Amino acid sequence: MEIKTTTENGITILTPVARVDTSTAKVFEDGVMGAINSSNKIAICFNEIDYISSAGLRVVLMAGKKLTSLNGKLALIDMPEKIFSVFKMSGFDKILKIYPSLEESKSFFN
Amino acid sequence: MLIIVKNNINEISRVCDIVRKFCEEHNVSNEKCHDITLILDEIITNIVNYAYPDNKEHELSVDIDKIGVHITLRLVDSGIAFDPLAQADPDVESSLEERKVGGLGIFIAKQLSDELKYSRINGQNQLDIRVAIYSEGKDNGN
Repeated sequence: MEIKTTTENGITILTPVARVDTSTAKVFEDGVMGAINSSNKIAICFNEIDYISSAGLRVVLMAGKKLTSLNGKLALIDMPEKIFSVFKMSGFDKILKIYPSLEESKSFFN
Repeated sequence: MLIIVKNNINEISRVCDIVRKFCEEHNVSNEKCHDITLILDEIITNIVNYAYPDNKEHELSVDIDKIGVHITLRLVDSGIAFDPLAQADPDVESSLEERKVGGLGIFIAKQLSDELKYSRINGQNQLDIRVAIYSEGKDNGN
């Protein structure tokens, strides 16, 4: 599993590729937690994955908690419908910020 | 179709590949196939992580079938007795700060299944799962 990293207007954008499941969650965790060490504005973009299991949701939740404790911000952007349904089912749509695109998350970061 | 699985996390992607092929051959939609593989992923992950405290190699079985409008899954393992349905659901209404990390896998599997039945038979855990492959008739509570 690969995580692409780009930066735009001070926001670090992480794009995991392919699948986030039990066997790849550790790579995802290391990538996300590593990014938090150097930036407190993080966007995770989901448009290049087609599958996420609870192992991946756990990492997203940990990132949300960590950034909140550091007065940072986490946005989840560009989720395919199937991925969104898993987040919604888990109640994560109520505790994390989900936006259709990076553009639409900008006012949250500013 | 019976699939024998070792209690190793790396087996999960192999099982999911076999199940995706089964779904294709039985004209199950991509969306339902996604749900079925996610259920299996969560349940097998749980078995691999918790069923065998001796850390030795064991086998479990997954039997997948299409019966009428349902995909049926029967998972059998000889690990310690564990009824996934008896576990408390995570509090999906709690705040970010209070929300516990973990406990979500079984909850997701329950949400995506139309029927789940646990039995402890002859020292084995048996979990029977049914998923309707047509989304009509499933009440999502919305």
